[in-house]
Amino acid sequence: MLLTRKNGDGSRQATRAGRFAAGLSESLARALPTMDRRAFLKRSGVGVGVGIAASQWQLVKKAQAADKPAEASGLKREVRRTVCSHCSVGCAVDAVVENGVWVRQEPVFDSPINLGGHCAKGAALREHGHGEHRLKYPMKLVNGKYQRISWDVALEEISQRLLAVRKDSGPDSVFFVGSSKHNNEQAQLLRKFVSFFGTNNCDHQARICHSTTVAGVANTWGYGAMTNSYNDMSFSKAVMYIGSNAAEAHPVSMVHMMHAKENGCKMIVVDPRFTRTAAKADQYVRIRSGSDIPYLYGMLYHIFKNGWEDKEYIHDRVYGMEAVREEVMKWTPEKVEEACGVPEAEVFKAAQTMALNKPSSVVWCMGQTQHSIGNAIVRASCILQLALGNVGKSGGGTNIFRGHDNVQGATDVGPNPDSLPGYYGLATGAWKHWCTVWGVDYEWVKGRFASQAMMEKSGTTVSRWVDAVLEKNELIDQDNNVRAMVFWGHAPNSQTRGLDMKKALDKLDTLVVIDPYPSATAAMAAMTVDGQELNPNRAVYLLPAATQFETSGSVTASNRSIQWREKVIEPLFESRTDHMIMYQLAEKLGFAKELVAKIKLVPGKGGMLEPEPESMLREINRGTWTIGYTGQTPERLKAHMRNMHKFDVKTLRCKEGKDEETGYDLTGDYFGLPWPCFGTAELKHPGSPNLYDTSRHVMDGGGNFRANFGVERDGVNLLAEDGSHSVGADITTGYPEFDHVLLKKLGWWDDLTEAEKKAAEGKNWKTDLSGGIQRVCLKVHGVHPYGNAKARAVVWNFPDPVPLHREPIFGTRPDLVAKYPTHDDKKAFWRLPTLYKTLQQKNVEAGLAEKFPIILSSGRLVEYEGGGEETRSNPWLAELQQENFVEINPQAAAARGIRNGEYAIVSTPTGARIKVRALVTPRVAPDTAWIPFHFSGWWQGKDMLEFYPEGAAPVVRGEAVNTATTYGYDAVTMMQETKTTICNIEKFTA
Amino acid sequence: MARMKFICDTERCIECNSCATACKNEHEVPWGVNRRRVVTINDGIIGQEKSVSVACMHCSDAPCMAVCPVDCFYRTDEGVVLHNKDACIGCGYCSYACPFGAPQFPSNGTFGLRGKMDKCTFCAGGPEENGSQEEFEKYGRNRLSEGKLPACAEMCSTKALLGGDGDVVADIFRTRVITRGKGSEVWGWGTAYGNKPQQDSVPQELAK
Amino acid sequence: QQDAPATAPAAAPQVQSVDILKQDQAERTRAQPGNAAPVWRTVNAGTENYSSLPYREAGVLIQQKVQYPGQDRPVSAGEAWRRFRNGPLLHVGGWLFLAAIAACAALYFIAGPLKIKGPLTGRLIERFTPSERLIHWSVAITFVILMLSGLTMAFGKFVLMPLIGHGLFGWLTYALKTVHNFVGPLFAVSLVCMIVKFARDNLPVMADVKWLLSLGGAIGGKHPHAGRFNGGEKIWFWGGVLAMGVLVTASGFVLDKIVPGLDYTRHLMQLSNVLHLVAASLVMAASLGHIYLGTLGMQGAYRAMRDGYVDDQWAKEHHDLWYDEVVRGDVPRVRSQESAPATAPRTV
Ligand SMILES: Nc1nc2c(c(=O)[nH]1)N[C@H]1C(S)=C(S)[C@@H](COP(=O)(O)OP(=O)(O)OC[C@H]3O[C@@H](n4cnc5c(=O)[nH]c(N)nc54)[C@H](O)[C@@H]3O)O[C@H]1N2
Ligand SMILES: Nc1nc2c(c(=O)[nH]1)N[C@H]1C(S)=C(S)[C@@H](COP(=O)(O)OP(=O)(O)OC[C@H]3O[C@@H](n4cnc5c(=O)[nH]c(N)nc54)[C@H](O)[C@@H]3O)O[C@H]1N2
Ligand code: HEM
Ligand code: HEM
Ligand code: SF4
Ligand code: SF4
Ligand code: SF4
Ligand code: SF4
Ligand code: SF4
Ligand SMILES: [Mo]
Repeated sequence: MLLTRKNGDGSRQATRAGRFAAGLSESLARALPTMDRRAFLKRSGVGVGVGIAASQWQLVKKAQAADKPAEASGLKREVRRTVCSHCSVGCAVDAVVENGVWVRQEPVFDSPINLGGHCAKGAALREHGHGEHRLKYPMKLVNGKYQRISWDVALEEISQRLLAVRKDSGPDSVFFVGSSKHNNEQAQLLRKFVSFFGTNNCDHQARICHSTTVAGVANTWGYGAMTNSYNDMSFSKAVMYIGSNAAEAHPVSMVHMMHAKENGCKMIVVDPRFTRTAAKADQYVRIRSGSDIPYLYGMLYHIFKNGWEDKEYIHDRVYGMEAVREEVMKWTPEKVEEACGVPEAEVFKAAQTMALNKPSSVVWCMGQTQHSIGNAIVRASCILQLALGNVGKSGGGTNIFRGHDNVQGATDVGPNPDSLPGYYGLATGAWKHWCTVWGVDYEWVKGRFASQAMMEKSGTTVSRWVDAVLEKNELIDQDNNVRAMVFWGHAPNSQTRGLDMKKALDKLDTLVVIDPYPSATAAMAAMTVDGQELNPNRAVYLLPAATQFETSGSVTASNRSIQWREKVIEPLFESRTDHMIMYQLAEKLGFAKELVAKIKLVPGKGGMLEPEPESMLREINRGTWTIGYTGQTPERLKAHMRNMHKFDVKTLRCKEGKDEETGYDLTGDYFGLPWPCFGTAELKHPGSPNLYDTSRHVMDGGGNFRANFGVERDGVNLLAEDGSHSVGADITTGYPEFDHVLLKKLGWWDDLTEAEKKAAEGKNWKTDLSGGIQRVCLKVHGVHPYGNAKARAVVWNFPDPVPLHREPIFGTRPDLVAKYPTHDDKKAFWRLPTLYKTLQQKNVEAGLAEKFPIILSSGRLVEYEGGGEETRSNPWLAELQQENFVEINPQAAAARGIRNGEYAIVSTPTGARIKVRALVTPRVAPDTAWIPFHFSGWWQGKDMLEFYPEGAAPVVRGEAVNTATTYGYDAVTMMQETKTTICNIEKFTA
Repeated sequence: MARMKFICDTERCIECNSCATACKNEHEVPWGVNRRRVVTINDGIIGQEKSVSVACMHCSDAPCMAVCPVDCFYRTDEGVVLHNKDACIGCGYCSYACPFGAPQFPSNGTFGLRGKMDKCTFCAGGPEENGSQEEFEKYGRNRLSEGKLPACAEMCSTKALLGGDGDVVADIFRTRVITRGKGSEVWGWGTAYGNKPQQDSVPQELAK
Repeated sequence: QQDAPATAPAAAPQVQSVDILKQDQAERTRAQPGNAAPVWRTVNAGTENYSSLPYREAGVLIQQKVQYPGQDRPVSAGEAWRRFRNGPLLHVGGWLFLAAIAACAALYFIAGPLKIKGPLTGRLIERFTPSERLIHWSVAITFVILMLSGLTMAFGKFVLMPLIGHGLFGWLTYALKTVHNFVGPLFAVSLVCMIVKFARDNLPVMADVKWLLSLGGAIGGKHPHAGRFNGGEKIWFWGGVLAMGVLVTASGFVLDKIVPGLDYTRHLMQLSNVLHLVAASLVMAASLGHIYLGTLGMQGAYRAMRDGYVDDQWAKEHHDLWYDEVVRGDVPRVRSQESAPATAPRTV
C-alpha cells in the first residue's frame, strides 16, 4: 500500500513527461528571491522580545541561489517587485512573470513593512493578471446599451464634448474626480492636467476619507499625516484604536501591534461595533457613533484631574491647552456617559492605561473622520496625545491609518480642489511656483481659467458633485453648474445620497469613466428606474485604464514611506495607462506640449508615446519642498526596493548597507524615505520615520512642530519655548520658518553657494528651487527649515477652535440635539450652500428618530476594497463574501421578527429601501446597525446586471449602502457623514 | 526528517482570510473548493471571540486515510497526508471522517457525483513528478519541493498561521506564549496528532 | 448570568463548587485571565461558528463528539464513525457475508439440494405471473449489482486491490460506485412494486409459526404445512425485503443526496452510512440464503422464478395449503391473461 512516499522513490520518477516543466519550475523556485523554510520560520517568530527579534532578523539570509532564469528554454521569466494596490499599508509583492504572463505571486519576506504577510486582498493580487471581468475596450452608451468603440473615436468624441462644455459654460462646468489609486506621478500629472483645462473642480477619495484628518491635524501641528508608522507601534506601551478597525482595514499593520502586545503593550479599542480588532483588545469600549469627543474629553477629564498630563511638554510645545482644559472639565463623567454611553469606570480605566503606559499611541481612521464634526473629533484625539506628551515620540504619536494604497501620495501631490501639489494652496505665489516647476507660463495658465478669481478659489468636492450638478444655479458659487463629469479612478457608490446621485447622473451632459472596472458607474448611469427615460442628450463613455500592475511608479504608504512599483505586465486587453490617456486627451484638448514640457516621453503600449514615470517623479522632486518630496528620486527609491532586507523592521532604518547595483549607500536611510525627506537627493536626508521627534537630529529624521501659523497670537508665543528643539540644533528655542530674510539676519546667508544664493534670493524654504535654504538649515545648522513652533490645541481658524461635540444631522437622540446642536447653515462653502441646523431642526421636528430608531453606520470588510467593483470582480475574494448584509443586534432583530440569514429591508429618511441579508450578531448594540459599503449592482432590491457593459459585471453584486445614506458634511472639509445616520429595519416580505 | 504541522495562533489570527486566498491563488483552486477557511468562534461576543484558520492538519493517524475505499491517501516522509486523484472515486467518505472538514469536492454530491476530492496538500503536490505540469493541474504547486513552505502560512498577515517542521513551529509558538503569558492552546493538535504540547481543545482543568 | 467566583466570599466553601464547566469565556477571563478553556469547549462541541463562507458546516471547526455502541469514550464524530465502520461494521458485515456463503456451501455439500420427492405430475401451476417475475427480476438484478458494487466499496481494498492493483481497482471502484448510486433508485422503485405485489400472500398465518418452529421441516423430518409462501419466505419478505430493504434504500437515498429539504451534514451522512451498512450486511447475508434456495438449493424453485410455472408435485410438497387452494379452485391455476396454459408445459 502506498502509505509512505519517499522523496524520489522509483514510482514518481517513473511518472510521465513533465520533465521540462519540472525543471522549469525548479529553476523558477531558485530564481525567486524568497526565504528558505528555516528563514521563514525565524521570521514568523519575530516579536518575541526585542533582543531575540533583532538577532533573528540578522540571522535571516536570502536564499541565495543561482539567479539565472532559464533563458535557454526560450522562456522569459522575471520577478518584478510591486506593491499591493489596495490599502495604505503598502505590502510588497514579488510577481513572477513568464513570457509576459503573471503566473505566480510570492511573499516578500524582506519587506520591513509586511514581512511577507498579506491580507486577503493582497494575497489575491495576481488576479489582476487575469482581469476577466474588466472593461476590455472603450465603450459608449447608445440607446441604453454599451457599445464598443475605438480609442480614436472615444478620445475624439470625449474631447469635442469637453471642449464644447468648456466653451458654452466655462471650464468650471467640468468636474474631474481623480484617484487615490493613481501613483504619485499620475496624481500629480492629473492635477496639472486639470489646471491646464482651467479649473479647480477636481478631487479624489481623500475628501471622503481623511480630509478631516488632514485639515485637522495639519492645523494642529503642521502636517496632515500619520505621525509615526505601523512598525513604530511595536515600541508602544499602550495603543488606543478609536474609530479604526485595523484588523479588517489594515490587516498587516496588526502584525506590528501583535509584536507590541506580546511584549506587554496594552490595547484599547473604542468603537460602536465589537470588531475583529476589538477582539484582540485588552479593553473594548462601546461608544455611540459620533460621540468620540465626549469620550475623549471624558478621558482628558481624568487625565487632568489626576495630573497625568505632561506639563513640561505642554508648556514647551503646546498652544492653547488651557482653553481646552476649560471645555474638558465641563465634561463630567455623568455628561460623558449620557452622550457616549460609557460609564465612568471604563473611561477612567482607558485614561489610566494611556497615561501610565507611555509611550502610548492613538490610532484612528474613518470612525472619527466621517462625521459632520470630523475635523473636531480628530483634533480632540490630537489634544489627548498632546496632553500626554506623546507626539513626536517613538511608540507614541497619532497613527492615522490612511485609506487607499496611494491616498497619502494623491493627497500630497494629487488633484485637490483647494491646493496645488505639496499643499502649496491656490494663491498666486503657489501658481507661480508650480508654473516654474512645470516649465509653463503663468499667464498662459491663468488664461486657461475663467478668471484669476476662479483660479484661486477652491473647487467643489467629490462629496458634493451631485449638488454642483443639481443645485439651483443662483445658489452656487460659480457661473454655471457642473455639466460634465470625468470619473478617473473613483467609484460612485462611495458617495452618499445615491438617490440624488442617480438624478445628477441623468442630468449630465457628458460622463466619462476612466477605470479598469468602470462598471458600477456605467450601470448606474445606464439603468432605468421604474421605466424612466434616459436623458437623450447625455453621452457616456467608458475608457479601460490599466491597473497599477501595468505601469511603474511610486506610491506613498500611510507612514509616508514611498515605494517604487515595477511594471508587472503590459496593459491588458485594450487598456492604456492613466498617464498615456492624460497625454492623449491633452493632445486633443490642445495642451499636450505644456503638459509634458519638462517630462520625457517614452513609447508605451503599442509604441504610443506616454510620459515616463521616472521623469514625472523628478518633476515632483523638483517642486514639492513643503513636505519633503524632494529627496526621493527614482534611483534612491529603486535602491530601497532592491535592498528591503537591509532595513530594520522596528525602526525602519538601514544600519549599514550599499546597493550592489548602483553603489548607493543606504546607511542611515529610513525605508522608503518617509516624507519629509528634505533637500535634494545629494543632501542625503534619510527621511522622517516619526514626525516632530525632537530626540533626533534633523538629519537623522528628527523634527519639531511646524511654524505655520505665525509667531504669536494675541500676545501669546506660538513658537516652542526655550530648550525645546531637535537634538543638535543651532537654535535652542522656537524659531519661525526660514526664508532669505531670516537666513541673512542670522548671518547664515553665506553658507549658501553662489549658485544657491542666486536661486534663493527672495525665496523661502518652500520656493527655493535650489534647495539651498533647506540644505543650510538642516545640514549646517541642524534646524528645521519650517521653523520650530508649538502645536495648536486651539485652531482659531476653524468653526470650533476648541473642538466641540455636536450631534449628527440625522440622529436618534433629539434630547442631545437640544444640548449639542450642529453648526449654522453655510452659504458658498466649497462653492455650494450647505445645510446644518435647519436640516437638523427639521429632522427633530419631523420626529424622524421615532420612525428611524436605529443608528446606521457603515464600513469595511477585509475582502473588499472601496466601492468594491475591483475586488468583487476577483473570484478568489468574491467567494468569501457573496452577499451584502446588515449587522443587527439579536434584540433588535427579535423585536422585528428578523432571523439570521433572511433578507431585510433597511430604509432611511431619503426614502431609499435597500434589501440586504440580516446578520444577527451581538457585534453591534441594539441601537446600532452596520452595513459594509463595498457593494453595488443592486438598486433597491433589483439586480442591475442587464445594465452592465457586457462581460464587465463583477462576480458578486449587492445593494449599495450609499443608496440609502443621508445628507451631512463636515464644516471644514465637506467630508460626507457616512458613519452616522438613521434607519429602520424590517423583515423582507416578497 | 521534519514532521510538517500547522499551528494557528488564535491570539493573533484576525480572520483576514489571507491564508484562504493565498491558497486559492497559489493553486488556482476553483470556486466552491476551500482548502483552507477561517472560522470565528463566539463571533461578536465581547471578550470571547477567537478566530481560527483551518485546513487539513495532516493527522498522524488520519481518519480520512483509514476510510478511503480505494486507499488513495499516502503519507510523505515529512508526515504530509496526500492523495491520488486518479484513484479517488469521489465517495466523500474522507470528508465524513475528517474532524476538520478538510476534504472538499468540486460538485455537490447528488447521486454521489462529487468529482475528485481536493484538499490541502501542505503545498506538497501529489504523486506526479515534483513540479510537473500534471501535478500542478491536479494538486497545485509543490512548494515543499522548491524548499518553500505553505503559501497560506507564508502570507499570513499576522504570522498567526505557522506551518512547517512541527518542532520548530511549536518552539516559535511556545516562545510567544511565554512572552505574552497566555494563549497556550494549540488548536487542533490533540485531535490531529494525538500528541500535545498542551492538549488542544481539552480544557485545562480536565486535562490535568 | 452566573456569579463569577470572585464575587463569592473568599473563604466560603462554595467557591470550589462554582461549576467551571458552565462558565463562559468572559466570566473565565475575569476569574482566570489567559485561560480560554470555555472557548475550546465550544469548539469541541462541534458548534457551528461564524464563517463568511455560505457553505454547509463551514463554521464547524471540529466535528462534535460522538460515541457509537461499544466505544469507550466519545471522540470526534468522524473519528468515531471511522472506528465504528472500519471496526465492528465491516468486520461483522464481512464475516456475516462469508458465514452465509459458508452456510450455503455447507448445506449444499452436506445436506445437498432439496429434491422433489415424488414423481412429477407434468401438470403445471402458474406460480408467478409475468409481471411478478418482471418485478422480481428487476429487484434481483439491481440487487446483485448493488451488492457487488457495495461489496467492492466496502471490502474491495482488502480483497480486490491486492489482486488487480491500485490503478485498475480505482477505475473499477469508480465505475461500480457510480453504477451503485444510480442503480440504487431503480432498485428502490422495483422494491416498492415487489412489496405491493407480494405483500398479500405474505401475510402471516398460524401455519407459518409451525413452519418456523420446525425450521421448515428440518426438525421432525416432514414438510410442515405452508401457503403460497412459507414461513421462511415470509421472514425473508418482511424482514429482508421490507425492513432491511426499506432501511437500506432510505439510507441510500440520503447517501445519494437526493432527498429534498435535508441538511446533509457529515453527521447525517455518517449515520446513514452506518444504517446502510448494517442493513446491507444483513440483507446481503440473508439474500445469499434466498438465492441459494432459489437456485442450487431447491429443485424447481428457479424454474418457478424463471418461467413462472411449477409442477403440481412441487407445489404439493412445498406449499401444500396453496396447492389445496389451487385444487379447490380458490386460486386459479393460471392467473395471468396473456400466457394462458396453451403453451406446452415444460417439464422440470
Ligand atoms: N479591506 C479593506 N481595507 C481597506 C479599505 C477597504 O475598502 N477594504 N479601504 C481603505 C480605506 S480607503 C480606508 S479610509 C480605511 C478605513 O479603515 P477603517 O476606518 O478602520 O474602516 P471602517 O470600517 O470604515 O471604520 C472603522 C470603524 O469605525 C467604527 N465607527 C463608526 N462610527 C464611529 C464613531 O463614531 N466613532 C468611533 N470611534 N468609531 C466609529 C466602525 O464601527 C468601524 O469598525 O481602510 C482602508 N483599508
Ligand atoms: N457609506 C460609506 N461610504 C464610504 C465609506 C464608508 O466607510 N462608508 N468610506 C469612504 C472612503 S474612506 C473612501 S476612500 C471611499 C472609497 O471609495 P472609492 O474610492 O470610490 O472606491 P474604490 O472602489 O476604491 O474606487 C477606486 C476605483 O479606482 C479604480 N482603479 C484602480 N486602480 C486604478 C488605476 O490604476 N487607474 C484608474 N484610472 N482607476 C483605477 C478601481 O477600479 C475603482 O473603480 O469610499 C467612501 N465611502
Ligand atoms: C439492498 C441493496 C444495497 C446494498 C447491498 C448496498 C450496499 C452498499 C454498500 C456495502 C455500500 C458501501 C458502504 C461502505 O463502504 O461503508 C454502499 C454504499 C452506498 N449505497 Fe448502497 N446498497 C444498497 C442499496 C442502495 C440504494 C437503494 C441506494 C440509493 C438509493 C444506495 C446508495 C448508496 C450510496 C450513495 C452509497 C455510498 C457510496 C458512494 O456514494 O460512494 N445503496 N451500499
Ligand atoms: C439472483 C437472485 C435471486 C434469485 C435466483 C431468486 C430466486 C427466487 C425464487 C426461485 C423464488 C421463488 C421461490 C418460491 O417459488 O417460493 C423467489 C421468490 C422471491 N424472491 Fe427472489 N431471488 C433472487 C433475488 C431476490 C432479491 C434480491 C429479492 C429482494 C430483495 C428477492 C425477493 C423475493 C421475493 C419477495 C420472493 C417471493 C417470496 C416471498 O414473497 O416470500 N429475490 N426468488
Ligand atoms: S490590502 Fe493593505 S494590508 Fe492587505 S495586502 Fe494590500 S497593502 Fe497589505
Ligand atoms: S485533517 Fe482530515 S483530511 Fe487531513 S489528514 Fe486529518 S483527517 Fe485527513
Ligand atoms: S472521496 Fe476519494 S479520497 Fe475521499 S475517501 Fe472517497 S475515494 Fe478516498
Ligand atoms: S498548505 Fe498549501 S494547500 Fe494547504 S491550505 Fe495552505 S496554501 Fe493551501
Ligand atoms: S492569514 Fe493568518 S491572521 Fe489571517 S485569517 Fe489566516 S491565519 Fe488568521
Ligand atoms: Mo478611505
